[in-house]
Amino acid sequence: MATTREWLKPDETAKELLVRVLTERPLLLLPPPLHRLPFRVGNVVEIVGPSPSAKTLILIQAAINCILPKEWNGVEYGGLGRAVMFVDLDCRFDVLRFSQLLKRRLIGSRANVLGNEHDDFHELLTVCMRRFLYIRCYNSLEFLVILKTMHCRLQKEKETQAGGVYLLMIDSIGAFYWMDRALLSSSGSNNRKSLSLQCVVETMVQEIQRLLLVHPMLVLASKSASFGDKQSTTEVIRNPGKGSSVMAMDFRSGPQNLLHREYMPSVWQSFVTHRIQVRPSDYSCKYQNNATYLTEWLLPSLKFSDKFIINDDGLLVIL
Amino acid sequence: MAPLKSLEREYPLIDSIFQNFCASHGIFTVEDFLIHDLYLLAALAEQNNNSGKLKQGITQVFSIIDNQCRPWLNGLELLNDVEQNKHVLSTGCERIDAFLQGGLREGHLTELVGPSSSGKTQVCLQAASNVARKYSGRVMYFVSGNSFSSKRIVEFVRQMSDPANNQANSTLQQVMKCIICHSIFDIFRLLDVLHQLKHSLRSQMDCQVRMLIIDSISSLVSPVLGGSGAHGHALMATAGFLLKELAHENNLAVVVTNHMVAGEGGVSKPALGESWKNIPHVRLLLSQDHVTNISSMSILKHPYLVCFFACMAVWLSLKCLLISE
Repeated sequence: MATTREWLKPDETAKELLVRVLTERPLLLLPPPLHRLPFRVGNVVEIVGPSPSAKTLILIQAAINCILPKEWNGVEYGGLGRAVMFVDLDCRFDVLRFSQLLKRRLIGSRANVLGNEHDDFHELLTVCMRRFLYIRCYNSLEFLVILKTMHCRLQKEKETQAGGVYLLMIDSIGAFYWMDRALLSSSGSNNRKSLSLQCVVETMVQEIQRLLLVHPMLVLASKSASFGDKQSTTEVIRNPGKGSSVMAMDFRSGPQNLLHREYMPSVWQSFVTHRIQVRPSDYSCKYQNNATYLTEWLLPSLKFSDKFIINDDGLLVIL
Repeated sequence: MAPLKSLEREYPLIDSIFQNFCASHGIFTVEDFLIHDLYLLAALAEQNNNSGKLKQGITQVFSIIDNQCRPWLNGLELLNDVEQNKHVLSTGCERIDAFLQGGLREGHLTELVGPSSSGKTQVCLQAASNVARKYSGRVMYFVSGNSFSSKRIVEFVRQMSDPANNQANSTLQQVMKCIICHSIFDIFRLLDVLHQLKHSLRSQMDCQVRMLIIDSISSLVSPVLGGSGAHGHALMATAGFLLKELAHENNLAVVVTNHMVAGEGGVSKPALGESWKNIPHVRLLLSQDHVTNISSMSILKHPYLVCFFACMAVWLSLKCLLISE
């Protein structure tokens, strides 16, 4: 009887639940252009856009925000002080750019502090760079190996670094699409799973889901997409030359077809909780030197869109 | 990846009982293992009367998989690798070097795209001769259209070296020895040669290779594209990832060229377009003014020169490529 009563008793009130969830899984705001929506761990955010549309830069800025400390020797940096795992499927990550942006960010935060001591700058840089973990892979089987063995690595990170990994980044999720589509389905025996795009993506989603249960993380994945027709209407020429005849080819002409073609299997699509679209825009009269980009939330769909440029420091600036 | 049978000799835990258990669940190779839920498999092994041994076998395969995995690197290790192993190679043309902040970086896949006679091959030949001369590095030069000209290399080397130098002849010989040219006429041969190169670089037989040039990759890839199947695109992506792997793991600067075709409305576009775009690190557009014969180069994509040089285009006459002042 006592146990039944015990069982009937509420575990916690709604208020207690809310307090617990907000402390255990706090809402998180990422740097622009992802700043419109709050995220929490367990969310899977997809950044979709043609190439080039600053997708990797958005990931890098979010990573920098995560690895920076909240405060260090009395200076406010406003970061999360947590580790980031970056899985590079595109194999195009440039660490020089990453460290350059990180340094700029550090200098920017210290600018209004008197007495810049240089010795602790280097120390802080080292601490931040150690929080950034990187791996690359050249085919989807390697990616699956990484996912299968990631649990141990995350466990180790949890012990060595305070708080453990907070962000898992995948750049970009559709990199092996064509290779996987042509995988031979070797169904020699009747109960053998055939190796196919569907099967690879299913396993991938299953492994990430399992990781998220044990290690609460936010997943950020970029995905390159082709907009509209097959022509390269989305190509941006960063520095159009003057006067030459062949240079007249205008990649930016033609109507912008806003719908992107979804090519990932539905198991991935339903795994994604938030989706943002980035694309280069025609609107560049005011900032002629810098290409302008447009962002739009597709999931959940928000009615407004943000414009941003990449300034001369290589930083994203919302207009 | 290996069939389980072939692992038996090296790992006694993967015995015939374990293989039979795996086969009953449709697992014959390590690949099959990867697409299976290992927790589910362990639970199934639990029900078996030989469960202890089977679970050890699963752990064994898992550790084999784990050993194959590349290590995770932190930011500092990455930076160290780039600073020590990935140098910037001069192309031999001062203007291009200045434009690209030093030249072509090892580890990067650089694509030159442009219409015919815009100077793609000239840039390749000059870069090859300069890398061979200045760094005494070996250059693998793959051509698909007989565009390689050793005469031109001789010209470039003559211009680069000091005329007063009486060792000019031996330098020239050295340079010519360093450049290894292969004629390749289809993508299968290309993949074959790239695999051979990967193998020989891994076994340290060829540690002096600094640069790999493919002129032109589009004429090898575009014939297999099209149609409804995915195989053409798969071959293209495979070649692209193989090139990126070679570039990164062996610190090579890889240069490929891509020609232009007429697109819709008479506007020319790169022969390898939308789905190729994601592959190279750097895309440079070459174009030529037919009246003045001046070529210009502009950046379509670059990992770190994104905007620093936003409105600078380098102008080069073909003479400039000849005479690097």
